[in-house]
This record gives sequence, C-alpha cells and structure tokens, in this order.
Amino acid sequence: MTENGKHHSALPYLLVWVALLILTATTYSTGRMHLVTWALPLALTIAVAKSLLVILFFMHLWEQKGANRIVIGTSFVFVALIISLTVADVATRFPLATPADAPFGSDVPAQLDEPPPEYQHPAGKIGEPARGVPEPK
Amino acid sequence: MSEAAALPPGEHPARGGDPHLAHHFSSLERQVDASRLGMWLFLSTEVLLFTGLFVGYSVYRYSFPVAFAASARTSEIWAGTLNTAVLITSSLTVALAIHFVRAGRQRAAVVCLAVTLFFALAFLGIKAIEYTAHFHEHQLPGRYYRFEGVRLPGAEMYWALYFLMTGLHGLHVLIGMTVLAVIAWRTAHGYYSAHYYLGIELAGLYWHLVDLIWIFLYPLLYLI
Repeated sequence: MTENGKHHSALPYLLVWVALLILTATTYSTGRMHLVTWALPLALTIAVAKSLLVILFFMHLWEQKGANRIVIGTSFVFVALIISLTVADVATRFPLATPADAPFGSDVPAQLDEPPPEYQHPAGKIGEPARGVPEPK
Repeated sequence: MSEAAALPPGEHPARGGDPHLAHHFSSLERQVDASRLGMWLFLSTEVLLFTGLFVGYSVYRYSFPVAFAASARTSEIWAGTLNTAVLITSSLTVALAIHFVRAGRQRAAVVCLAVTLFFALAFLGIKAIEYTAHFHEHQLPGRYYRFEGVRLPGAEMYWALYFLMTGLHGLHVLIGMTVLAVIAWRTAHGYYSAHYYLGIELAGLYWHLVDLIWIFLYPLLYLI
C-alpha cells in the first residue's frame, strides 16, 4: 500500500515541523508589532504558507492522486468566494440601502422623511389569511 | 447483505484471503483510494462548516476594527501561542505514526499516537485555563460582557465569535482524540500493518485538519 514502494525517511517531517514553528514565531513577533496596514495580509500569508506545508507534507497531498487535490482546492475556492463577496457586500453599503438600526454598513443611520411603505403581498398582508384561499378548518 | 454476513470478505477464494478488503472493491488499492477521496470530501465540508464562522468574523471585524484589535490584545496570547506549538507538534507525531507503521514498526506508531493524545489533552488543559480567566474577567459574549479593560461597541461580538470558534474547534479536538484513541488501540492489537494502515491515515487527516483550522484561528483571534 505504500505509494511508491520505497521507504521514506522521517527527516522531511521534522523539517516541516521546524518550518511550522519558525513561521509561528514569525506570526507572533510581527503580530506583537501591531502593524496598521500590513498586519492582516501578513498574518494571512503566513497562515496560508503554514497550511500548505501541513496539507502537502503532513497530509501527503503531494504524493496523492489528483482527485483529492481538486476536492480540497474547490473547497478553498468557495471559502475565498464566500468571505470576499460577503465582506464586499458589507463594505459597499450606503445609508439609503440600509434599513434603520441595521447592524452593518453605514455609520449614519438611515433617515427617511416618511416611513417606508408597508410590504404588500399580492395575496394579502403577512399574517392575515390570504385572499381567495379558504380558511383551514 | 445476508450473503456478506455468511461469507467474511477476506475469505472469498477469489480475493487472496485479504481480511481488510471489502467485498465490493476489486482490489485493496482501489478501496484505499476511494476511502481517501471520501475523507477529503468530508474534510472539505468541515472546512466549509468553519467558513461560516470565519465569514461572521470577517464581517464583524470589518464593522468594528478598533474593538476587535483592542479585544485581541486582552486575550491570553501566551496560551494561544503555546497551543499553536502544541498542535503543530501533535501533527508531527501523527505524521510520524504513519511513517512508523509504513516501516512496519507498530509499537513506535502506538507510542506516537499516545503522545499525540497527550498533546491534545495539554491543548484542552491550556484552553480550560484560558476560558477560566475570561470568565473571571467577564470577557463574555453578548450582554454578559462586563470587561472593564475594553469598553467599545463590538467587543462583545469579538468574544461571541471567540467562544464560538474556539468552542467548535475544541469540540473537534475532542472528536479527534476519540478517533485517535480507537485507532491507537487497534494498532496496539495488530489490526494495522505496513500492508494496511488506512485507519491511521484517515484519523491523521482529521487531526491535521484540526491543526489547520487552528493555524488560522490563532492570528485572527490572538494577534491582529
């Protein structure tokens, strides 16, 4: 069942472990500097580098079949999509697009001169029995 | 089903008597490949489970950058850093367990798995000390937040996300420990060998994922 039949040395695992510890120390020391602009990109870059080391060598994806790489790669694509698009939504909101007392997106709460029109469903108001539909017995 | 029960998979004359080969696979190699693919699919869903919390973190951090930075500075940074080293080292011992069982050294593999379990316990112990400190300081989610050190809007959301993310991660540590304990017991009883070590490999993949999640939690919750 060994991938290529030959015996591996334990040395690569130890090297990856040392690299992970060095990267952790780097995250720690740069994190304590409280860099204003570069703190988040730097921390995320180091975290991605560390996770690549874990995935490729500890999890043996380096020597495995392509299907497994596609699976986990697709998962990370969706992680990037859902985080970036959600933050882009919140980051581009402006007061009139945000209802009053909404938690995100605008520093100034929406000030409307008149209350927004009540939502009218074609079948009737929410909470009232729909028109044309017999009452449930 | 009844046929399979009557005829143990390995005893089928056409299969060379391999006790690990399930009857619906034509060869052990295919069985192992299918199991690995299944595990990677499962790990992908685990990643997406945590992503929900990471999205929540991103949105609230974007909305309350000052409160999040100030709260992260009042977290137990020593504990987070130590736990990162503990988890990375436990990942190494799991990788070494697979290395040893591949080389036919089951006893060394069992020792490695036992050391991994010890590191996992140490992780949870440090986490417990940390949680106790936060409870004493009232660094708690939502309306239970009474910490005097940071009085900013959004700080209570940092602690809500802190406890949700580390809590879900801690639950995964517990599950991983259970799986590793079962695997270590089976290895000690000779179930796995250099010929067949799939269980150790898949349990190891799960444990590395626990490490992987923490690699992202650590800088986001403790440092920046």
